[in-house]
Amino acid sequence: MPDLNEPPYPTVLKPYGQSLVELARHCPDIVCLTGDLTRQCEIDLFQDAFPERFIHAGMAEANMMGIAGALARDGHIPFVHTFGVFATRRPLDQIINAIAFPRLKVRIMGFMPGVSSPGGPSHQAIDDVALMRALPGMTVVDVADAVEVRQVAPAIVDVDGPVYVRLKRGEIPVIFGDDHRLRLDRADVLARGEDVALFASGMMLAPALAAARLLEAHGVSVSLVNVPVIKPLDAATVADVARSAKVVVTAENHTIVGGLGSAIAETLAEAGLGRPLRRIGLRDTFAEGSLTAPYLFDKYGLSTQAIIDTAWTALGRRDRAPSAEIAPAEPGEYSPV
Amino acid sequence: MPDTHVSDPGTRWTVTDPARLATSIRLRAVKMVAPQGFGYLGQALSSAEQVAALFTVLRPGEDRLVCSPGHYVIGIFAAAAELGILDEDSVSGYGQNGSPVEAIGTERSPVADYICGSLGQGLSAATGFALSDRLRNRDRRTFAMVSDGELEEGQVWEAAMFAAHHRLNRLTVLLDANNSQVDGPVDTITTIEPIAAKWEAFGWDAVDLDGHDVGAVIKALAETARGNRPAVLICRTSTTHGLQCLPPDADGHFIKLPPDLAARAEAELTARLEDRDA
Repeated sequence: MPDLNEPPYPTVLKPYGQSLVELARHCPDIVCLTGDLTRQCEIDLFQDAFPERFIHAGMAEANMMGIAGALARDGHIPFVHTFGVFATRRPLDQIINAIAFPRLKVRIMGFMPGVSSPGGPSHQAIDDVALMRALPGMTVVDVADAVEVRQVAPAIVDVDGPVYVRLKRGEIPVIFGDDHRLRLDRADVLARGEDVALFASGMMLAPALAAARLLEAHGVSVSLVNVPVIKPLDAATVADVARSAKVVVTAENHTIVGGLGSAIAETLAEAGLGRPLRRIGLRDTFAEGSLTAPYLFDKYGLSTQAIIDTAWTALGRRDRAPSAEIAPAEPGEYSPV
Repeated sequence: MPDTHVSDPGTRWTVTDPARLATSIRLRAVKMVAPQGFGYLGQALSSAEQVAALFTVLRPGEDRLVCSPGHYVIGIFAAAAELGILDEDSVSGYGQNGSPVEAIGTERSPVADYICGSLGQGLSAATGFALSDRLRNRDRRTFAMVSDGELEEGQVWEAAMFAAHHRLNRLTVLLDANNSQVDGPVDTITTIEPIAAKWEAFGWDAVDLDGHDVGAVIKALAETARGNRPAVLICRTSTTHGLQCLPPDADGHFIKLPPDLAARAEAELTARLEDRDA
């Protein structure tokens, strides 16, 4: 298994907000738009640093996307901020017509992915990857930790077309070392094994990593791949890793329809690779009834244990799967469920 | 030429007779629709004077034009062909298979700086342009053609609030109040009146006028250049104006134009131009 931090992970605050300010110092074309979620999207930092480039669109996502498109058409690089659920559902037609069809350099930053919010189905972006992935020319990114979060704005700023990024809110775990480099063109193979090929994106990297370690400790050989870019998918790496495994497991903080699991399934099928595939994610359901996000990760099968059990049974093991024991997080730390 | 836009540097044209241009737009629109036998002729008929006025007031290679209802590009293309902005080949393919000039304007359509096919989105784009010009300290005007039916879309009012809040006074909307939408007269579907009072309540200067009085439209466009708020001209129009041969029950959203009617329309408008030139 790779030499990465182990849970509970140390966390940092506002790594995205800080990185956007740094980037904007060198990139005068960047403008920052907010849909009434400024502090929540960490861009109070941008507002303080560059008030003349900061635009309050208010609670009007459709108009915000239209304005962003026009600004991009005129040479600005708009970074648009709101929660992922509001960034993708309500203004879908506006993103399609005002941003995606003209292939404009608008960066849509969707906070609070999947069930990371206990705010109920109205606030949970469980289908944002599927919606954005369907749009021609849209790049879709779901980063895993603070090291990647810090690098995502500089990594996407020059992409010649629209980009959608999912970003966790609040305390962001540090999983990778400082030498880790986020690449948009490459899925990141963290470990090579022969039994299970485990692909994870975003917040599911932490439980996938914990699951891979425990499986290895119990004699199961695991390939672990971090997939920060779901579109365009690094299909060559996916096929290469899957080819050398007996079963494939995907893990996403999202519905299993249309996201990472679907993208991997399409890749395997097109490559003619017949491998049993199991998809960890929301199984055709909304996520309801919670005070805390960890409860939802557990309730809807997005836990470390769920990944272990899934890989175990996919391999045909009939004995009891090993039990995940994740060190609980103290305040200021983060552990996956 | 098929990728020319009014605000592109170097684009040039001159309008000497706006009223004649309006009639020319109608005649050319008839010729553009005739090969299909149906199309968005009603939009050209109701907006002909607005389009003629726009091309009279727009500063070529400088000011911007946004067409929110993509169905209205027919009038813009017709004017562009009359003024030499578009070549004959480009407009003769209007709406045909394989043509770059689609009947409902798209991202790739020429002449207007931005055209929306999905209704209700154009004012946001125009607002974005006006905001961009302010951020870059450029003294350009942005004109947006919007249709009355689009006022049913909430996004229009999101954009209206934003533009007024930011006092984007270089933004002017020409609202084609032709009381026509797909399912029938707008006022039988949704009550959008009082239109002017709504825009004024949102912080805009509003002018209610006869949209077929080209001189009045030009005058209002000139006057709104000096305000300190965004402005809307509510142009009262008809989708059958200026073409007497149309049957009284013509569907203004999508007029049927069989060959005999097309021939009569062409003759009527040609005669009117000849009378004017005589």
